[in-house]
Amino acid sequence: MSKGRPAVEIRNLTKSYGKHRGVSDISLKIPEGDIFGFLGPNGAGKSTTIRCMLGMLRFQKGEIRLLGMDVRRQTEEILRKVGYMPSEAMFYPNMKVKEVIRFAQKARGMDCGREARKICDLLDVDLEKKIGELSLGNRKKVSIVCAMQHRPELLILDEPTSGLDPLMQEAFFRLLLEYNREGTTVFFSSHVLPEVKRFCRHAGMIREGELIRTDSVENLLKSPVRQVRYWKDGKEEAFSYSGEMKELVRRLNGLEVEDLLIEEPSLEESFRHYYEEG
Amino acid sequence: MILFRHEVKQNGKSLLIWAVCIGLISFGCLLLFENLADTIGQMAKAYASMGKFSEALGMDRLNISTIEGFYATEIALIHAIGGAMFAAMTGASLLSKEEEGHTAEFLHALPLGRSRIVRQKYTALAALVFLFQIITVLAELAGFAAAGEMPDKNAYAWYHGAQFLMQLEVGSVCFLISAACKRKQIGTALGLALVLYFADMICRILPGTESLKYVTPYYFSNATDIFLAGKMDGILAGIGLAVTAASTAAACFVYKNRDLAA
Repeated sequence: MSKGRPAVEIRNLTKSYGKHRGVSDISLKIPEGDIFGFLGPNGAGKSTTIRCMLGMLRFQKGEIRLLGMDVRRQTEEILRKVGYMPSEAMFYPNMKVKEVIRFAQKARGMDCGREARKICDLLDVDLEKKIGELSLGNRKKVSIVCAMQHRPELLILDEPTSGLDPLMQEAFFRLLLEYNREGTTVFFSSHVLPEVKRFCRHAGMIREGELIRTDSVENLLKSPVRQVRYWKDGKEEAFSYSGEMKELVRRLNGLEVEDLLIEEPSLEESFRHYYEEG
Repeated sequence: MILFRHEVKQNGKSLLIWAVCIGLISFGCLLLFENLADTIGQMAKAYASMGKFSEALGMDRLNISTIEGFYATEIALIHAIGGAMFAAMTGASLLSKEEEGHTAEFLHALPLGRSRIVRQKYTALAALVFLFQIITVLAELAGFAAAGEMPDKNAYAWYHGAQFLMQLEVGSVCFLISAACKRKQIGTALGLALVLYFADMICRILPGTESLKYVTPYYFSNATDIFLAGKMDGILAGIGLAVTAASTAAACFVYKNRDLAA
C-alpha cells in the first residue's frame, strides 16, 4: 500500500437511469485505513454509488479511483484487491457452501483456504450445506467469507449486518476491526446508526442522490443542530434546530414554556435532521 | 477456465436430459426400422404421392425404405429440432440467469472481467452443443449397429458437423439475446428455434420464398440434402458461421457496455 493515497476517491459522480435519478455530483475522499460509514434512507443512492465503484454500473459523468486505480479502465486489477459484500447475498442454489467459497478462490487465482477456514470457524459456517437450504443470515456469512478470505486492501460492504443475529454481528465487527488494524480500508453502507457511531471514523450522508455531508463521526455528533424539548400545559414537545441562538430564544419566548431542555443531538437525531431538512 | 467448468457442470443435467431423450428416440426409431420394413415400403409409396410436402421433407429424393433414407427424412428431423431447442435454451440463459438469479453481484465482484465472463460462458455453450452431438451420435450409431446397417460415413460426418454449426448459430443468436436482457428469455429462444425450422419448410414448399434459405440455418444442415450431395452447402454454412461470429461479437459488446442489475 502506498502511504498518503486515498483508498477511495470519487469526483463528481453522476449516474442516472434514463429519466430516473441515480446519484448526482457525488464527491468523496476516504483515506487508507479508514472505516467509513455511508448513510442514507432506501433509494437515496447508496447502492448505486457502490455499484458504480465496482464497475457494475456505467456512469455518465465523473471519475472513481479505488486504491489509486481508475474504475473504468482497471476494473479487474481493482477487484483483485477489493472485497465486496452485497446487501442481497445470493449464490448458485445447487452448490454447496464449500464449492462457492472454492469457486471464489479459484476465480481470484489465490489459495486462501487458511483464511477461509479461520472466518468459517469464527462465524460457524456449515460448509457442507447447499446454498438453497440457507437462511439469509447464513448466506450473509458465506458472503463475508467470499469478501474477506483474500484479505483485501479495501472492503466494500452494502448493509452487511442485515440478517445477522447479534452474536454474529459482534463476531463480524471483531473480524472487521482486526482487518482494519492490519491496513484494510472499510467502506460500508448502513441504516444502523449505533454501528456507524461505534465502528466508523468518518461518515457520509446521502439523500435523494446527493451527498449532503461528509465528516468525522465525532464532528457529526458535534453538529450545530440542537435538540430542543419543552413542556407546555403539561405536554412535551420537541424539535431540531440549527441556526442563530437569539432566533431560537425569540421563537421560544412567545411559547410560555414551563420547562426547557436544549441538548446536542444523538447521531440518530442528526441523521433524522439531515433527512427531514430539504 | 473456472467459469467454463462451472457452466458445463451447471448445465450438465439439462444436457443429459435433452441428449439422452433425443438419443433414445433416435435409437428407438432405428430399431423400429427393421421391424417395420414392410410397412415403411408402403409408406414410401404413399409419401411419393404427397407432392410438395414430400419435397419439403426430401422424401421425393431419398427412399425412406432404406435405413439411410429413413434416418435422413424422419430421425434427423427430431435431432435437428431437439438440438436447436437445447442450444437456444442454453444460450438464452447463460448470461441473463446471473441477473435473474441475483448472482450477478457475486460473479462481477470477482476479478474476472466482463470479456472473460462472456468468453468462458460462450465456450461453455459451444462445448455443451458439441457434447450434445457426441451423446446423440453414440446413441444413433448404437441404433444403426443394432439395425445391422451403417450409414455412409462421409455424409453422416458432414451431417453432424452441419448440425453442430446450425445449433451453435441458434445458440449464439440466443446468447446475444441473453447478453441484452436482465431475465432469461426462454420462450423467445424456443420460439426462434421453431420459427427458423418453419422458415426452412416454407422455403422448400412455397415458390418465391427461396431466399429464406439464407436466413434459416436448418437449410444448410438439412439431412436429405447432405446425404444426397455427400457434403453441406459451403456458402450457406459460411453465412451461418458469419451470423454466429457476429452474434457472439455483438453479445460481447452489449454485455461489456450495459448496466448490470443487482
